[in-house]
This record gives sequence, C-alpha cells and structure tokens, in this order.
Amino acid sequence: MIGSVRAVAAVPLAETSGGCHLGNGCGFPAPGLQNFDFKPIFTVGSFDFTKPEFIAILCALGVIAFFGIAFRKPKRIPGVMQSLGEMAILQVRDQILRPSLGRRGDAYLPFLVSLFFYIFVCNLMELIPFFQFPSMSRIGFVWPLVFMVYFLYLYLGFKTQGGWGYFKNMIPSGVPWPILIILVPVEVLRFFVVQPFTLGVRLFANMFAGHLLLTIFMLATWYLMTWSYALLFSAGSALMVLFVFLLELLVDLLQAFIFTTLTATYIASSLDPAGH
Amino acid sequence: MSEHGKDAAKASKTVEAESRAQGLGIGWTVFSYMIAGMIAYGAIGWLIGRVVHVSLLFPIGMLAGIAISTGYVIYHYGRPGSVERNDR
Repeated sequence: MIGSVRAVAAVPLAETSGGCHLGNGCGFPAPGLQNFDFKPIFTVGSFDFTKPEFIAILCALGVIAFFGIAFRKPKRIPGVMQSLGEMAILQVRDQILRPSLGRRGDAYLPFLVSLFFYIFVCNLMELIPFFQFPSMSRIGFVWPLVFMVYFLYLYLGFKTQGGWGYFKNMIPSGVPWPILIILVPVEVLRFFVVQPFTLGVRLFANMFAGHLLLTIFMLATWYLMTWSYALLFSAGSALMVLFVFLLELLVDLLQAFIFTTLTATYIASSLDPAGH
Repeated sequence: MSEHGKDAAKASKTVEAESRAQGLGIGWTVFSYMIAGMIAYGAIGWLIGRVVHVSLLFPIGMLAGIAISTGYVIYHYGRPGSVERNDR
C-alpha cells in the first residue's frame, strides 16, 4: 500500500494530474495524502532520505549560514547583512521574548530566534518553486521541536520551583478541596498532554491544510484548462492560487510567530509560578 | 517626532506586544482546558461505564468535563481584573 502511494507521489504537477483535462474522460485527480509522501532520493539500509528531509536540512543550514555571515565579523557600523541580522533578532526580542519573559528572558533569545526562523523558513518552502513543500506539514518534523520546548519548560519548572512546588503551583490556590479533586485531572492532563499536543498539531495542521489548498487550486487550474467555457473556471482557479499563495505567506509567518510566542509563554510560566 | 513622542510610541508598541502575547497565551490555555476537561472526564466516564455496563456514562462524562472546564475558565479568567491577576 505504502509502495503504491509512493509510486504516485513526488512527481511534477502535470504528471500527478496525468495530463488529465476536463472532457478527456478522466475525473479530477483530487489531491490527498499521496501528495505528502515522496519517493526516496536515496536509501541507506532501511532509511529513506526524502524531499521533506532534504528541505528541513537545507532550511537549518540556511538559517545557520545567514546568522553566521551576518555576525561573522560584527562592526560598530553594521553592513547590510549585519543590519538584517540585527533587525531579525530585535524583532524576535521585542515582539516575542520581552512581552512574555521581560529582560530576565534574554538568556533564551538564541533559542527563540533559532526556533522562529527555522519554522518560518521551513514553512516558506511551500511557496518557493522547485521545493514547493513545507516540511512542517509532516508531523514527524514538528514533534522534535515540540519535545525540545516541552522538556525545556518542564526542566525549568522543576529547577526553579522544585519537584513538589512545581505540582503544587500548577493547582490554583484558594480553591476548596472538593473542587480541587475535581480540577486535578483536568489540570494535569492539560499541562502534560494537551498543551504540548496543541502546540504541535496547530503548526502541522495549518501547514498541511495550506499545502493541500494550494495543490487543489493548482491542479484545478491545470485540469480545467481546455478550449471551452471551463477556461473561465480555470482562470478563476488561477486567481485562487494567487490568493491562497498570499494567504499562505501570512500563515507561514503567523504560525512561526504563534509557536515561538507560546514557547516564550510556557517558559515564563515555568520561571514564574505566581502566574498559576 | 520629538524624543518624548518617540518614547510614547515605543511604550505603546510594548504594551500592544505584551497584550498580544498575553491574549495568545490565555486563548490557547482556555482551549487546552476545554479539551483536557472533555478527555479527562470522558475517560473517567468510559471507565466507570465499562465497569457498571452503562455506556451512556462516556458522553455524560465528556459533557461534565466541558462543564467543569467552562466553570473553571470563568472562575480563573472571567472575573473583572482576573487576567491581570493571572498574568503569566
């Protein structure tokens, strides 16, 4: 089954639709899960190296290279790359880190900057020709980031509040004990399971849906492109491609922003038990 | 723009960013409470329902979980000034 899905996947758009046009007698080649599965570029033993992995590594190298070049030789009067790098870092600091953590959170700036730009560049890859795939639409690429954040805020919570204190602060104070018994399962499940789960699934689901939307309208444009009245619909679909493209540009940025902002908020809640 | 005007604009941007971060955090925390309440009491209802052979306890548990979460969210965030008090 997986083999057959792979056989369909990772081929250019025109081939996916099989040269299929309205009136040819073939139905609309609706996109689906097969568009998220790729033929391996190469295989080492049982490990398949695929396009999403290639994109994820390329994005990481891109972010490292950008900041490496920007701050290789920092000058008092910055050049173009250094100015861009400084602007990028200051935006993350002023819009994401400081509002949640204040000045005491500056130690986490490198982590949040890396997280934000890595997710943002990975998301942007869905809009760049040839790549045209967001790695984060495969949930396997999201979980490592979520686990990093999860273990970081758990570690910080235990470190700053102590084992018992961390659990105690999780439960609201001043609540009568019968209500506390009712609340404990909700609070424990929210903190240890639902919070990291929603953090990951939100990013994955947005990128998955965005890629699917773009693919649907791209395929529909191609499918309806015939010398008939359908050409009008094809033009409409092409307009939708443009609209979804611009929308995805916003979503890519917004999802990176939300993921990093919530990470900063979770770190803040571990460092400051008064918030509970 | 004067120096005073620049400071005021910067302060306003900071407040805006802080309230945005706070809103995001609270919004997703409330959502997490709703899901957690439904799962926790749905699971408890399902377990008790299996023991006493009353399958209706599963949906009842889920509804009770949502009700508990809603009540807690109102208690925690719904009162005037509670957002400032519970600011994370």
